[in-house]
Amino acid sequence: MFEITYDLVVFITGLMAVLASLGVILCSSPIYCALYLIGHMICLALLFLLYHAEFVAAVQIIVYAGAVMILFLFIIALLGGRKEIQEASFERFMALSFAGTLFGELLLAATVGPTKPIQGAVDAQVLAEVGSAKVVGLELFSRHLVPFELASVLLLVAAVGIICLAKFPSAPLKRRTR
Amino acid sequence: MSEFFDEVMEFIDPLFEPAFIIGSIKAMVIAGALLGVVPLLVWLERRLMGRFQVRLGPNRVGPLGLGQPFADSIKLLFKESIIQSSADKFLYHLAPAVVVFTAIVAFAVIPFGEPVTVLGQEIGLWGANINSGILFIFAISGMGIYGMVLAGLSSNNKYSLMGGLRSSAQMISYELALGLSALSVIVLTGSLNLIDLVESQATVPYIILQPLAFLLFFIAGVAETNRAPFDLPEAEQELVAGFHTEYTGMKFAMFFMGEYINMVTMSAMITLLFLGGWNAYGLPLWPILAFSLKVFFLLCVFIWLRSTFPRLRYDRLMTFGWKVLLPLCILNLLVTSVIKVL
Repeated sequence: MFEITYDLVVFITGLMAVLASLGVILCSSPIYCALYLIGHMICLALLFLLYHAEFVAAVQIIVYAGAVMILFLFIIALLGGRKEIQEASFERFMALSFAGTLFGELLLAATVGPTKPIQGAVDAQVLAEVGSAKVVGLELFSRHLVPFELASVLLLVAAVGIICLAKFPSAPLKRRTR
Repeated sequence: MSEFFDEVMEFIDPLFEPAFIIGSIKAMVIAGALLGVVPLLVWLERRLMGRFQVRLGPNRVGPLGLGQPFADSIKLLFKESIIQSSADKFLYHLAPAVVVFTAIVAFAVIPFGEPVTVLGQEIGLWGANINSGILFIFAISGMGIYGMVLAGLSSNNKYSLMGGLRSSAQMISYELALGLSALSVIVLTGSLNLIDLVESQATVPYIILQPLAFLLFFIAGVAETNRAPFDLPEAEQELVAGFHTEYTGMKFAMFFMGEYINMVTMSAMITLLFLGGWNAYGLPLWPILAFSLKVFFLLCVFIWLRSTFPRLRYDRLMTFGWKVLLPLCILNLLVTSVIKVL
């Protein structure tokens, strides 16, 4: 009995994620686009949660829905989110044909058959611990330590660079801040 | 007909499992208690503020003025709801709901006592016991920022927009300090589970082992709940009322409900992380009473701070957050980790 309800909840959450991501590209108002994207990320976090990866779900919400999307809304607020006017053009036609091709490929993929779990590489014990804080931490700080640190340096460089680009061409403000 | 009935029952059946019933009752009790505590907190704040400023505060309606919050609530409920014609109606209505919803949901993982046995069922005194409990609270309270940003964006008012932007910038900045200072406690415990955190403080609370982390967490917590002296998003002199300038009636009150519930959640967090949760340390108190007393004390400190300190200037607030609080947090974390490893 529990299985049916669980599968139903997973299905509904996945459906909502798909609908929200459709909303991102189909909505004409930038604020609502951003909100749909937030909704999509929350649905993804819920899916992680349903698959017992609590840590990944929390991180998904903190990093993407919490921090990144706030900055999106910030920029929309500062630039003034104006509705864009939809009109038929060559680019639009191209985009639609690409989307159609991708959808066709997706349908082809569905004919392969139901998805099967990978045999051998992961047993039940490994599967139970996937997504817990401990496993993620051990992987990140042992096998992937160098790429992880390099990525953090790269992000720091990007952050410093964007401040330099944004701030210094104009005359620096004189402020009496301590 | 009976086949159809069976199929319906198959879907409804899990709803009658004890775990589901207990969960629903817990959810209702937590939500009800949090909403009920808000008027009392408003009363407490007004009475205490009165005392701090050498006056009486509201004492006319009912015994000790306890009728005042109810009179206020009734007034707010019956007030006309005015919506700006140029506002985005949907987002305008959504914003206060987001604030209250996230405030209540964040409280779901807070444990306030040891498990008790009722009718043969062991019931933990928490909404949910998840392994990444503390991250869950950070995640959900991070979502609460959207309520304020959306209120600012949808009102179509410059003051609201400024208030919304300020609140989001402030809360993102101080969330870092909040998380990093909590991290030094997590390093000591080795667990993200709030119940493990409390149980590891059975002999000594972390406020003694980590006084600096406690101070940093407390300051960041005050800023995170937008309380004075960090209530820049709603600074009256500069921004009229910040992100809720355009709101009236109950929707206006919902922002305050969110703020007060966040205050309770933050006090509970500080209690769990630094004051030893429900551990009474030898005093003859029930666990739940010990927890409540600690939370009550912290709430009084929040109010005390409001009536003591003047509001910071906005650039000073950001400078303080990024150039003082954050380096101190990182330093504290570094020292704690080194000591832990050694």
